[in-house]
Amino acid sequence: MRMSSLILQTAVRFILPLTFLYAAYAALKGHNGPGGGFIAGLIASVGFCTYRMSYGDRAFHRLLPVHPRWLVFVGLGLAGAVASLPLLFGQPLLRSASTTLHLGGSEVHLVSSMAFDLGLLLVVVGVAVGMISRLGEELDR
Amino acid sequence: MVTAAPYLVLVAVGAPALAGLATMLLPDARRLTRLSLATAGPVASVVLVAIHLGRNGVSPADTPTGTIPWVPSLNLDISFLVDGLGSFFALLIAGMGVIVVPYARAYFGHDAASLARFFPTLGFFTSAMLGVVLADHLLLTVLFWEMTSVSSFLLIGWDRDDADAGKRAMQAFFTTGLGGLALLGGILLFGGHTGIWRWSRLMAEAATISHDGTVVAAFVLMFVGAATKSAQWPLHDWLPGAMKAPTPVSAYLHSATMVKAGVFLLGRMLPAFGALALWLPLLVSIGAVTMLLGAVLALSQDNLKRMFAYTTVSHLGLLVAMYGLGGASTTEGVRTIHWDLTQIASHALYKAPLFLVVGALAHLVGSTRVAQLHGLWNRPGAGTKAAAAVLLLSGYALAGGPGTVSFIAKELFFAATDHATAAHPLLAVVGVMAIAAAACNVAIFVRLAATVFGLRSGVGDASDTPDATHREPDSWSFMLWAPAAALIALQYLGGLVPTLWNRTFSGIEANVHDEAFADGLPWAWEPFLHPGMPLLMSMVAISAGTALGFSRWMRGDLVDVHARIWPATYRGILQGGHRLFHSLQTGHLRHYLVVVFSVLTLCIGWAAWADPAMLRPPAGMDPFEYPAGLLLGAVVCAAAIALPMVTERVVRVLVLGASGFAVVGLYLVYQAPDLALTQLMFEIISVILFLLVLRLLPRPDHRPRIRVLPRLALASVVGISIGWMTLLAGHAVDNRAEDAPTLGKFFEAHSLEGSEMTDGRGGEGRNVVNVILVDFRGFDTLGEITVLATAVLGVWSMLPGRRRHREEEDLAVDTGQGAQP
Repeated sequence: MRMSSLILQTAVRFILPLTFLYAAYAALKGHNGPGGGFIAGLIASVGFCTYRMSYGDRAFHRLLPVHPRWLVFVGLGLAGAVASLPLLFGQPLLRSASTTLHLGGSEVHLVSSMAFDLGLLLVVVGVAVGMISRLGEELDR
Repeated sequence: MVTAAPYLVLVAVGAPALAGLATMLLPDARRLTRLSLATAGPVASVVLVAIHLGRNGVSPADTPTGTIPWVPSLNLDISFLVDGLGSFFALLIAGMGVIVVPYARAYFGHDAASLARFFPTLGFFTSAMLGVVLADHLLLTVLFWEMTSVSSFLLIGWDRDDADAGKRAMQAFFTTGLGGLALLGGILLFGGHTGIWRWSRLMAEAATISHDGTVVAAFVLMFVGAATKSAQWPLHDWLPGAMKAPTPVSAYLHSATMVKAGVFLLGRMLPAFGALALWLPLLVSIGAVTMLLGAVLALSQDNLKRMFAYTTVSHLGLLVAMYGLGGASTTEGVRTIHWDLTQIASHALYKAPLFLVVGALAHLVGSTRVAQLHGLWNRPGAGTKAAAAVLLLSGYALAGGPGTVSFIAKELFFAATDHATAAHPLLAVVGVMAIAAAACNVAIFVRLAATVFGLRSGVGDASDTPDATHREPDSWSFMLWAPAAALIALQYLGGLVPTLWNRTFSGIEANVHDEAFADGLPWAWEPFLHPGMPLLMSMVAISAGTALGFSRWMRGDLVDVHARIWPATYRGILQGGHRLFHSLQTGHLRHYLVVVFSVLTLCIGWAAWADPAMLRPPAGMDPFEYPAGLLLGAVVCAAAIALPMVTERVVRVLVLGASGFAVVGLYLVYQAPDLALTQLMFEIISVILFLLVLRLLPRPDHRPRIRVLPRLALASVVGISIGWMTLLAGHAVDNRAEDAPTLGKFFEAHSLEGSEMTDGRGGEGRNVVNVILVDFRGFDTLGEITVLATAVLGVWSMLPGRRRHREEEDLAVDTGQGAQP
């Protein structure tokens, strides 16, 4: 499955960094503003997919050198670990903890559920990219 | 109160399993070390139980050893009850374990792999069985009970190459497992109804338990559990089938210990349930029928193992009937039960040697058929002669001949039926059945003896010689018959010189009702000095049995009609399951959807019927707040209606996409940028996925003929009710929370800061949607990403393309040819 049009290829060159940047922004900002791991994951997936559609399988493997299953495994493991970590401290499942960092005048409020969000992001990217590239491979043959 | 006692008992229970597991670490060749380690487990159990008894004495039935907390939230803890019944069974089980382990070494001989597999399983069983008899918590008993079923399954199906052994193992597991479920049900019913979850409390409050319907139902269920485990009629067929197991297993599990678990359970239940009106008729009828049926079937068997299996069935019936009669002693004060543990021990002490010696004969003679034992006594070999002697001595105890404990035990049972008959004349039938069963046992012994000595009245003749060549004796061969000799010696020791037996058992026997035997077992000659009904019954049985043994009657292979129950049940289950599967799993997604949606609609309809308030529109709703929203809603509806009308798949995807983008617009109108963004991204990805999948799908040859109207109706009902439910959920008002009555208000209020409602904890984020996703409904999200991961695993593994591709490449490399044809 490849749509090798010059316009798309050129556009994707500019769009891809922007999607990733926006995905990162949405993921980091997510707990307090519009965004979140799920959305960020979807945004990043759309970026990956357009890149794969315009440049093909080989180039896509250079962009994402690991198999998408690792994203799924790591993401699910991270989410599961964050969810079950409180059990070790006698707290219920998924109980979040928070801390505030002081970085040169500005305060950053960190909540443990943000790590859960990151796991969510990885799973979403892994699943979307994995499915689409696997089905795409099937069509390419 | 923290004491060492429960931990001591816990270690005693766990020791055999731990020792068995430890033997797995040894290399196969280290047989002596393996044997010592495996023996150490049950030895440790015996020693620890003895230490416990030495320090604390035999505790009364209502006093458990302390408790070890386990799952406090389920009110489940590890506590043990080391009363007379429990400690007797524990010592019996562990003691038998000590004897069976070296016997197994001799039985399996040089087969190191079998030994390596055998000891862990046996240790697991021993621990499970110890747990059953020592547990105080009812549910703990069930837990160990199921473990014995599992280990029995593993051991019956020991021979992996024998398909029949597998079937028999399944039969045993199915039957006893069914009983285990009934037991669990009975215990849950009883515990839920009365709040009693411990045997000790059950004993303490035995007198106050009301005899209402629930308790009776619970009792019947628990009895089903006990009866299946102890192979009672009509589900006894699994026990003869279990003889497929290696002989050490038959001797240990299926004669001496596991099958007694049901009898043990009845012994536990007697003080509490013995007063139920149903107790005596139920137990006595089932037990007596089993007793007679087993004895008659045993007499006509040709295979020694099956013969002794049926005598085990018979004796288990006797034990159940014994406890059944015991019910009269609790209600009416009739002296119907006396020294029940002696009865149980007596059976174990002659039945285990019988099985052990059958295993020895299989090795020494090469056959377990009765006919091929003809003239065994005159065959060469010291081991053969010893085995024959043990066989005859054990057979004599089986017959209940004078001079054995078994004789006195039979007297005790006859005395109980005699006393019971005095109270209820109808029970005279049980006495007659007991005489008949005893006569059959005597006849079995007479025939065995005649065969072994080569008499004409024996079974078979001298020409019957086994064709199998027997095994070369090794240095362990004596262990084939020595354990049996040791066990049977106890029978005669107790029967001839009862002092030691009485001293041992008088401390633990709880049911002492008969003053004729007040001092315990009498000396061997005493019953003859005080003749009475029991002695008369014994004499009738012995003379009738001797005559029957020498006669030509009942020599053919009698077929047990109950053997048909299991195959028929098994076939019925398989066929029923097959039909059910094919009627539910059609392989068509549309059928599944119809089922799922129908059930969903029914549930919602039921809820609406129960709470009519659900049918009223929620208050405070203004449908015309945003005209643009109405317009977009109309687009969604139009797309949904158009979807089934178009036939081209790609167009369908686009129509679906149109509805999705209208939803994006709806989110924007109602000021939910997060959701709009998510929906947008989701629509893009799902359109890509759809197009990819559709290109891979084959074109359907024909459109399936579908009746439109019912489906349209179902679809409309589902759509409307789900939509309505969503609307209600958003507006549902909880009057208990004044500041945050609806879900939306609640999440708004608690997303950043907590309140009393959430124990002062908030989600610590300002984005309500995201806080719901990762905090309030975090568990949901965790489940969802697990589903996603599973789905993608399915895509990766079920699409065959890449694997085929690789294989073709490998093939090309192997043959040195081009990649693709």
